[in-house]
Amino acid sequence: MTAADQPALAEEVALLELVDRVLNKGVVLSGDITLSVAGVDLVYVGLRVLLASVGTLERLHESPRPPALRASARS
Amino acid sequence: MSVAAEPTAPAEHGWYVYGVVEAAAASPPNARGIGTPAAPVVVGSLAALVSRVPLDEYGEEPVRARLEDPAWLEEKVWAHEEVLQNALQTGAVIPFRFLTLYRDEEELRRFLVERLDDLQGVLDGVRGMVELGVKAFVDRDRLEAAVARDSPAVVDLDAAIAQAESGRAYLLRRRRDQVVREECAQLLAGRAEELHGRLREVAADAAVNPVQTREVSGRTEEMLLNGAYLVPAGDAAFEATVAALAAEQASAGVALELTGPWPPYNFVPRDLGAR
Repeated sequence: MTAADQPALAEEVALLELVDRVLNKGVVLSGDITLSVAGVDLVYVGLRVLLASVGTLERLHESPRPPALRASARS
Repeated sequence: MSVAAEPTAPAEHGWYVYGVVEAAAASPPNARGIGTPAAPVVVGSLAALVSRVPLDEYGEEPVRARLEDPAWLEEKVWAHEEVLQNALQTGAVIPFRFLTLYRDEEELRRFLVERLDDLQGVLDGVRGMVELGVKAFVDRDRLEAAVARDSPAVVDLDAAIAQAESGRAYLLRRRRDQVVREECAQLLAGRAEELHGRLREVAADAAVNPVQTREVSGRTEEMLLNGAYLVPAGDAAFEATVAALAAEQASAGVALELTGPWPPYNFVPRDLGAR
């Protein structure tokens, strides 16, 4: 609830939530080359490092985003 | 270019599957996607949304290295999500996990034909629904202060510590720290259960995921609930419940974070292909 009031934090929350879902959830098939991403926590920590840089946050604001976060989801 | 020995199965491309939708609702996804623009591969009543991707980037080996590049990952997970979000506007969606690839279209079609009934059943279960995420965080210092104030055991120990000579006071302090830790853990578990219970009452389905450490969440507060809830799209009841809980819990130092709507990532079977 609080995150939506701060755009930078909201973007960050949305990205982490998304990574949580697309890497850990969803249908997994046999007979394909789906990766099971071990060490997902390391991926998160890498993302956090990325997000910590000001340049990245500015870029996040400039680039278009799908309506994945509540704050911007309801038209 | 490699030798064209197998013209029907080019080794250098794979078919990236974002998810499965109903064929009737599979309008062009209007999203950049990953690789070539996302397009439907229709089998009967269903369609898989797919893109052709180069295997020198998305093959198992190269992609492992790229996963360590946060900027690459960020771009691609949003591209994956955008295709599914657009599809969600027109109908039910079964999200597939990031980096689900088929070697060729025939293999993908074979899977869709084999599992048509199962996939249709999953779509029926999530039609008209979206997923919302709720995380609850607590300020550890405030929690410990509340336990110190309200717990009879801690209050007694504090009184004993004040009376005790230094050696005994040291032991009592250690005992006190342990009691505070235990009571905090109990309180958090109870509160998480209570929050989840209240939220699942107003959801069609619910899932609890493991809480994340502070390093992963990037928050100074401690996460006590990491829940996902399946609710009818546009339904206000769930959001109202979250707002009510947030107001209730604020005085206890608990903050709630609501995200979504998401495609129903947490409410589709994990191993649909495994048989």
